[in-house]
Amino acid sequence: MRVKELGTRPAPNAIRELFSQVVRGHAPSISVLRREIPYWRERGWTRNGNNYTGSYQTAYAAFQGQIQERWSSIDFFLYSPSRQIRSHSHWTCFAPRGDDWYLVHMARRPKDVSSGIITIERLITEAYEQ
Amino acid sequence: MKKLSVVVAGTGQIRDVEIESGTTAGDILAQLNLADYLLSKGPNEPFFANAESVYDKVKDGEKIFASTKAEVGITVCA
Repeated sequence: MRVKELGTRPAPNAIRELFSQVVRGHAPSISVLRREIPYWRERGWTRNGNNYTGSYQTAYAAFQGQIQERWSSIDFFLYSPSRQIRSHSHWTCFAPRGDDWYLVHMARRPKDVSSGIITIERLITEAYEQ
Repeated sequence: MKKLSVVVAGTGQIRDVEIESGTTAGDILAQLNLADYLLSKGPNEPFFANAESVYDKVKDGEKIFASTKAEVGITVCA
């Protein structure tokens, strides 16, 4: 079979990179440091003194929240709860604080802000799955 | 054996552990001196019971959370 050469062109970058790696060997691996940050910060909450603002996030919905950390307790607030939360068996544990903000009563108080956020996020998930 | 990274939710501290088949959540918490904590795979997952074997429910190298016990409720609705 006759072959007609039509010309030359550079190989795509991916192929050139592959060949150059074979010649050079692998680049040294890079250790990626793990971030050791509290859950509240990992979830994007911000802290101003003893007050935290952010959102309770679940696969179903996210709700604006505020947390006030006092020396003896931590108060968790949730803004504008949805119909699903209002239908949950623990809705009576939400005490209105005006302007559609609600204080979430804790029968068993978490010892840190992050554990409280996890607890409320779990309750929101339950409310949507019930 | 499986390796696990236990994230202490309050501080973000990561404690690496290696567990054998049959290791319970209580075993891990006791080993890490986190007696008042509960383990879970995340906020959308249930807590592991203290006597529950964790080994079969986690993947090697997985990150799980340790958070302090808390419950939404008041006397009339808890």
